[in-house]
Amino acid sequence: MKKLKFFTVYIILLLTFSCEDDNNIGINTVSITVEDLYAPQEGSQGQSISGPFTKFNFEDGVQTESETNWDVGFRGTSIIVNGGVSLGTDDEPERNGNAAAYIFEGTMGEMQIVDTSLLAQDSESGYAIPTGSGNGWYTYSGSPTFLISPTPGKILVFRTHDNRYAKVEILSYYLGAPENPDAFTDPSRYYTFNYVYQPNEGATTFD
Amino acid sequence: MIKKSIIYFILIFCSKFTMGQPTNSKFDSTKNNLDEIIITATKTERILSSLPLNVSIIKKSDIEKTNATRLSDVINEELGLITVSDFGGGEGIQMQGLDSEYTLVLIDNQPLIGRSAGTLDLNRISVGNIKQIEIVRGPSSSLYGNNAFAGVINIITEEPKTGLKGNLISSYETHNTFDNNILFSYKKNNFYSSFFFNNYSSDGYDLIEDDGLNTVNKFKTNTFQIKLGHNLGENLKIKINARYYTQLIDNIAPNSLTGETFSSEDNINFTISHKSEKIRTDFEVYFTSYFGDEFLDDEQGNRFSESFYDQIFLKPEIKTVYKISNKKEFVFGLGNEYETLNRTYFEIEPKQNSPFIYFQYDYNPNEKINLMLGGRFDKYKEYKSQLSPKFSGIYKIQNNESIKISTGYGYKTPDFRQLYFNFSNSTVGYTVIGYNVVEDVLNQLIDEGQIANIIVPIDEFEDPLSPESSFGVNIGYDRDIDEKISLSANLFSNSAKNLIDYRVIANKTNGQNVFSYYNVNNVSTFGFDINTKYKADNYFSFSIGYQLLYAYDLDARKAFENGEVYARLTPTSPAFRLNKKDYFGLYNRSRHMGVIKINYNNLDKNFSANLRFKYRSKYGLYDSNSNNYLDKYDKFVNGHLTANVNINKIINSKLTLSAGIENIFNYLDSENISNLSGRIYFCRVGYNIN
Repeated sequence: MKKLKFFTVYIILLLTFSCEDDNNIGINTVSITVEDLYAPQEGSQGQSISGPFTKFNFEDGVQTESETNWDVGFRGTSIIVNGGVSLGTDDEPERNGNAAAYIFEGTMGEMQIVDTSLLAQDSESGYAIPTGSGNGWYTYSGSPTFLISPTPGKILVFRTHDNRYAKVEILSYYLGAPENPDAFTDPSRYYTFNYVYQPNEGATTFD
Repeated sequence: MIKKSIIYFILIFCSKFTMGQPTNSKFDSTKNNLDEIIITATKTERILSSLPLNVSIIKKSDIEKTNATRLSDVINEELGLITVSDFGGGEGIQMQGLDSEYTLVLIDNQPLIGRSAGTLDLNRISVGNIKQIEIVRGPSSSLYGNNAFAGVINIITEEPKTGLKGNLISSYETHNTFDNNILFSYKKNNFYSSFFFNNYSSDGYDLIEDDGLNTVNKFKTNTFQIKLGHNLGENLKIKINARYYTQLIDNIAPNSLTGETFSSEDNINFTISHKSEKIRTDFEVYFTSYFGDEFLDDEQGNRFSESFYDQIFLKPEIKTVYKISNKKEFVFGLGNEYETLNRTYFEIEPKQNSPFIYFQYDYNPNEKINLMLGGRFDKYKEYKSQLSPKFSGIYKIQNNESIKISTGYGYKTPDFRQLYFNFSNSTVGYTVIGYNVVEDVLNQLIDEGQIANIIVPIDEFEDPLSPESSFGVNIGYDRDIDEKISLSANLFSNSAKNLIDYRVIANKTNGQNVFSYYNVNNVSTFGFDINTKYKADNYFSFSIGYQLLYAYDLDARKAFENGEVYARLTPTSPAFRLNKKDYFGLYNRSRHMGVIKINYNNLDKNFSANLRFKYRSKYGLYDSNSNNYLDKYDKFVNGHLTANVNINKIINSKLTLSAGIENIFNYLDSENISNLSGRIYFCRVGYNIN
């Protein structure tokens, strides 16, 4: 039994070079890799899903239990933002921030300026990051491997609950981000992702 | 492993080649293919070498030489044809890079049905009573209508010869596989009859242990066939062919589930033919039904799942061949196809009537040229009626050299599953709806509160789903270089349109999707094949074939060109953009394929042997890096070489003994290739009653 109860955070690169950018006053963007953020759910596919979301704060780069100071939440393959209203499934937290999201098609490096017109919040008809294979961030292979894989070329762009921006590339859904994941043996619902956080309020660029 | 095998093979081949230097013995001057009669290409009897189409024949003697027992064994050794396994364990044909559901399979000129998952399982067909197998490559709906999209394979069973004949053939092979055949025939004056029985059974095998499943379950099959014919007068003949097939499979499934799959098939064909000097008319009625029933029980004997499939097909057809002159012949036919399917998970029991009419004009302006123009019209209610033209011509440059071209249209109507399916997976929770019942079923799901949001508006389903269609071009060159060497080369290209795929049409409140079908894919396959035959001497003969194949989804290629596709090197590395060179093509297509056959035949000693190799270069079975396309960063199935060998000894006029090994190199890829079970040994006894 793995003892790893909580995720670990590695700050790979704290400082990136953005001093010459006029938009950014003072504070640099931050690049972080989050490994094995556990996002359990109760009830399997086909039944009604429940259980608390694993909430995450981009500024601190850690999981949080706070009811207000969170940006995104994870439960199984579903991702919610702290903005908008509940879809109505069981155990969804109250949205009290201004978070929003959209999906950018391209590489992490190509995602440089947030197009704020594309931002959407969670609503009664669906999450800002759509659920289901091929609709949002992942592809479900079905038979015979039954793997959930992050779709390459999908960058999740978030506005945080307090009007900062972050871009996220999800890398793995399995514990330890194995090279060749096996859906039958590798524990799932463990998110590994890279993100870049823009700490200056309202600044929409990442370079 | 493969490199080693190739070297091994080259060594063998070269040594045999040098051993087989020509001697000055007399040659059988009749060319093999001059007197071969083929019926599939024109629905009339034609000499193979005079045809402008890409056709080939596998003769009974070729089949006997290799001791093949099932049609899949025979097809697997042909250049440019491979058998492809489906989930149900059936093996279908991939022809010129087009999938197995697009090749029409006939027995004695009549179509086989029962493609429950799209594939027609070639293991259903015993080759124990086959006269020849005729293969037409290229779209052929101008004569055959629906399903003749990639080509046609026609299995012609034996016609009785004068007197009472009978033979028994029994073979036994690894996995406790038995194949037993009894064939009796009688012909006298105006009457003939024949009876054929085949029993084929096996314990199956399991390539992946601990998954609770067998790769091939234990099964047994029986085939009965009766043919009767009677000449009512000099010009009037009646014929009845009847065939009955059953298969019983012992199923096992994970969690100690056990059950059975039973399927049966009937075919009855009744023909009256009238022949006069210039006109021949055939009236035939063909009836066939396919029935499948499947269940699984748990350990306590409670029914866990059950499904059935019950299909009926009836076709009356009248065909007239009018020989206008020695240079001109006209074929005209009309008929009606009636089909019904009753199946688990269907909203309704669909019935379909489709009348058809066809013609073909065959013209020889001079001795060197033959031209053929044909067309067929099939009328459909549920989707667009189809007009299928075909044009082809051959030019004999000289007696032993010819060039030919044929172009044609082929189509496949949406199958009933794509139109009427209503299936919700009970464990995962997704739903699949047939195109024609989307409105009803989706509204019902909405009423039940199961739909979170609709992605494709319901009114997009108002226009009917279109048949899938293909347009093919084949350009061939044949030459007998001398009495020993012949060469045949063919360029082919197929462009397929409106191929049907499924997509998400709505999201369900349980987080799963609702799927339905739509016309989307445009596919292009092209390439060439080249085949040479070399008769070294009275003992040795060789044939070598090679096929190059490109098979692309055109929209996928465009997505690569537009830079819309991404991949990663490892799961934890960032994604990067792919370009058009990175697109590999369609799944399960090998770019290179090769076949080599070495025959040894010693008539004096009544002994023959042959060794056959088949090579398939690497191919991808599924997208392994989640970008929905097959690109060069995906996992591929390794290219592989397989080889079969066997020997035959005629003991006396009644008794023949054979033995052999299939898959000599014991090539295995348990994860990806389910129809290679390792090395197989077999022996066989043939007994002639007279």
